[in-house]
Amino acid sequence: MKKPDGKVVLLGDMNVGKTSLLHRYMERRFQDTVSTVGGAFYLKQWGPYNISIWDTAGREQFHGLGSMYCRGAAAVILTYDVNSLQSLVELEDKFLALTDSASADCIFAIVGNKVDLSDDCASPPDENRPEKAVAGCSSKVRKQVRVEDAIALYKKILKYKMLDEKDVPAAEKMCFETSAKTGYKVDYLFETVFDMVVPIIVRQKAEGPPQTVDITDYKPAKRTKSGCCA
Amino acid sequence: MSVKAFKLVSAVEREMLMGDKNHINIECIECCGKNLYIGTNDCFIYHFMLDEKVSTSGKITFAATKQLHKYLGFKKPVSELKAASALTRLLVLCDNTITLVNMMNLEPVPSGARIKGAVTFTLNENPVSGDPFCVEVCIISVKRRTIQMFMVFEDRVQIVKEVVTPEQPCAVAVDGYYLCLALTTQYIILNYNTGISQDLFPYCSDEKRPIVKRIGRQEFLLAGPGGLGMFATVDGISQRAPVHWSENVIGAALCFPYVVALDEEFITVHSMLDQQQKQTLPFKEGHILQDFEGKVIVATNKGVYILVPLPLEKQIQDLLASHRVEEALVLAKGARRNIPKEKFQVMYKRILQQAGFIQFAQLQFLEAKELFRSGQLDVRELISLYPFLLPTSSSFIRSHPPLHEYADLNQLTQGDQEKMIKCKQFLMSYLNEVRSTEVANGYKEDIDTALLKLYAEANHESLLDLLVSENFCLLTDSAAWLEKHKKYFALGLLYHYNGQDAAALQLWVQIVDGDIEDSTRSDLYEYVVDFLTFCSDQDLVWKYSEWVLQKNEEVGVQIFTKRPLEEQEKNNMNPDDVISCLNKYPKARIKYLEHLVLERKIEKEKYHTHLAALYLEAILQLKSGTTDNCMETIELLLKLRSLLQKSDLYRIHFILDKIRGTDLHMESAILYGKLEEHEKALHILVHELKDFRAAEEYCIWNSENRDLQYRRRLFHMLLSVYLNPDSSDCALVMAAVDLLNNHAAEFDAALVLQLVPDSWSVQLLSPFLAGAVRQSIHTKRMTQVALGLAQAENLIYKYEKVKHKGAPILLSDKKVCQVCQNPFCEPAFVRYPNGGVVHTHCAANRHQNSNVTPHSSSSSSET
Repeated sequence: MKKPDGKVVLLGDMNVGKTSLLHRYMERRFQDTVSTVGGAFYLKQWGPYNISIWDTAGREQFHGLGSMYCRGAAAVILTYDVNSLQSLVELEDKFLALTDSASADCIFAIVGNKVDLSDDCASPPDENRPEKAVAGCSSKVRKQVRVEDAIALYKKILKYKMLDEKDVPAAEKMCFETSAKTGYKVDYLFETVFDMVVPIIVRQKAEGPPQTVDITDYKPAKRTKSGCCA
Repeated sequence: MSVKAFKLVSAVEREMLMGDKNHINIECIECCGKNLYIGTNDCFIYHFMLDEKVSTSGKITFAATKQLHKYLGFKKPVSELKAASALTRLLVLCDNTITLVNMMNLEPVPSGARIKGAVTFTLNENPVSGDPFCVEVCIISVKRRTIQMFMVFEDRVQIVKEVVTPEQPCAVAVDGYYLCLALTTQYIILNYNTGISQDLFPYCSDEKRPIVKRIGRQEFLLAGPGGLGMFATVDGISQRAPVHWSENVIGAALCFPYVVALDEEFITVHSMLDQQQKQTLPFKEGHILQDFEGKVIVATNKGVYILVPLPLEKQIQDLLASHRVEEALVLAKGARRNIPKEKFQVMYKRILQQAGFIQFAQLQFLEAKELFRSGQLDVRELISLYPFLLPTSSSFIRSHPPLHEYADLNQLTQGDQEKMIKCKQFLMSYLNEVRSTEVANGYKEDIDTALLKLYAEANHESLLDLLVSENFCLLTDSAAWLEKHKKYFALGLLYHYNGQDAAALQLWVQIVDGDIEDSTRSDLYEYVVDFLTFCSDQDLVWKYSEWVLQKNEEVGVQIFTKRPLEEQEKNNMNPDDVISCLNKYPKARIKYLEHLVLERKIEKEKYHTHLAALYLEAILQLKSGTTDNCMETIELLLKLRSLLQKSDLYRIHFILDKIRGTDLHMESAILYGKLEEHEKALHILVHELKDFRAAEEYCIWNSENRDLQYRRRLFHMLLSVYLNPDSSDCALVMAAVDLLNNHAAEFDAALVLQLVPDSWSVQLLSPFLAGAVRQSIHTKRMTQVALGLAQAENLIYKYEKVKHKGAPILLSDKKVCQVCQNPFCEPAFVRYPNGGVVHTHCAANRHQNSNVTPHSSSSSSET
């Protein structure tokens, strides 16, 4: 198994679409997923680096594991459902604390998924057929979370982490709205995050103490005289 | 799901342990090599030898032979057993005390060494001391929240460290200095050397028994919430995704690449590679599951069983047989570290190939291609699936055992034409990709022939590209196939590639003549002409020249005129032969002669005269014809004129004879010009053609590269023609005036003035006169300047001569020549202006060799 050079963790309430986002990015497909148990991870080759992407379980039962998954993470992608305000609130209430174990220079991205379900998504419904558009709207729900809310959360996170806004990527740049179902901005999200993770990896490699034990360091102990065949 | 990864085999039956005494239960087990130890609730230790037997059918059984049993003398159960084979000691935990007994006779060590107050203990499998005759033991002490580390020797024990934990520990595993602890509410990693601890994740030990298991260097497997098997490293991070067990797991063991877990009803097997559950074995009342040096042992209260892993290769083949390619590949890759490198590579390649064929059969071509590529598949395996594609001469035999279950494509597609076409398209693109790579080495013939067959069958345009570039198509096989599919043009290309140009041409000629049908090229005739042009076999060129010229003499003549330069240099084709061959084809003949005269610039009178005569003939014929071919005539006339003007080789009188009596005045004028009979020529131009402009041009081009006098003579001649007293044509006078005024420099003014009629006014000739006077003055002054300069130069030389003659030059034996360094033997010498003295012959040589300006040396001879 190749040892990953950096880690990206997806966090968020259950059923916001973390697994689907990752699946869309890695497998280029959207399919119904079952509730993630525990966690799963993928390796992504990004330039010369291997980045591991951890998909965590959103269920409360597994929240305890989040802190371990986040340990040493270079980036955390906080995911909510644009149609559920609660899912955004949960990010602050439950998930933010789990990121304490992440790397000190960890970057944060906030992602509102499922924009395909709301009526005012970025790709407007077909304007040429007004009667159809109206019909389409009826099946769609009103978006509950605006991008501004996500940006506000991002700024709260910076305060919580005691980071200066000048030292980190701008909030507008780090708040995304995606649709795993249509693939809308999914690649953009992951690629933006990866590009930001690479400098962190480079820095960690340059300064961080080696995390592996160097077996060449081993000094053979003196043989004791008590050995049977000595 | 459902790989058969393990088989459950009974090792120790209940009769061997307890007979019919139902109250006796198995408490713990230990296995070390062939030694199996069992501890019971009635304080007995049993020692068995375990023998593995493999039946002829490959079935593995175990036979346990009881060695001895020993009663420890307490009323307590034996709770844990651990062997330290290096010390031949068995560590026995009973009644909170660890005693050391001999592994063979189960007698306690004479020293009575023991560890008191242990709730549970574990051995450090990655010891830090480096002493091979010592094991490191970690215990959870009966003291609250206390872990103790001991060094255990053959007959003594020594405490190393005591650590206090934040909560009561209930399970522990050790790796080096790292303790992985299950506390009351969470798992932690604790470095007992530095005291630094790292929280892993919360866990409620009241609800479920925690599991802490070291699974390898610096990595542990832990029972997590929701029945998860969590992996954690000593750094407190997870490098593998968790496996999902049932909620009530009792024990877990590792047998790479599988994690085996035991619950109340089942043994479950998960792969560490993809985290999926692979096998479930029903197993009731199990309560112990442990792995000992790769051997997984499971026990109920009454019996001991061994989980025998099936060979990985067998597992992989089973997966492939059920078309589970992904899993098979993951397993194969995971097995890399358990199999010797060479063996693994052979096995893995084969698996990749097999997997490739499975994907291929499902028409997953992209995946198949990648697998074939990485598995370095012998392409012929794939080709051989397609009927008739491999050449009959191919020595290929499919590998055994077979890589797939298909006889051929018909069976694979079950006759579905659409699928068949897709498969063929895939093979086409695949062969095209690999044919130039090293995969093709050794059987390029097979690949190219197969590709040709596919292209021909599918009417694919790349067929021709294949045949015109480097290829290894086998002639007989390919020819038969192309003929079958009526690809005659391609067949011709194949013949040509194999050096059989005659056969190729025969086919193509047949196609052009419509004897056989092949619409590949609509311009096949031009193609054949081009082919013959570059054909080095001249017999073939001669053979088809008639046919080519008959079809179209103007295009066909290219076979002679556009031959490659290198052949022209060798001059293999005799022009006379060609000309006689072209006698029947006048247009072709002219083109050929033009080629000889104008392009190749052959300087032979014969060809030049012939070409001129042919032009003339054609022109006269066109002129006599009724139809008005004005354009053609003019074109020919221009060509004739250009030839007559530029060439000096043709027989002038011969042409002149032919031209006489026709109205080709311009041409006659040119011919007269060639004969230096300028007066006649100019007469024709002025009087017959009345083309003054042409007359002037005549003067200019006839005097090209001649001296000024010649040119002046010509112009003067023209002037004389204009001013011929016999005619008093006003136009001629005007022409004369214009000529003088426009070309003042071309005349000798004195002669002109004699010729000009007295009646002309000065006004009329003023531009000429002004020019002439200016010219005359200019000439005079230039001459004066030249004279002055020459006199000055002369004076300088004179001065130098006088200066050099002024002083005597002494020549003695001691003086040597500056060039050859030899003394002078005769009085003659050369002295350079700088004073250097040399032999006369040395100076002469030096003059030859270098360009010393002549005037810088002066020679004198003195006695």
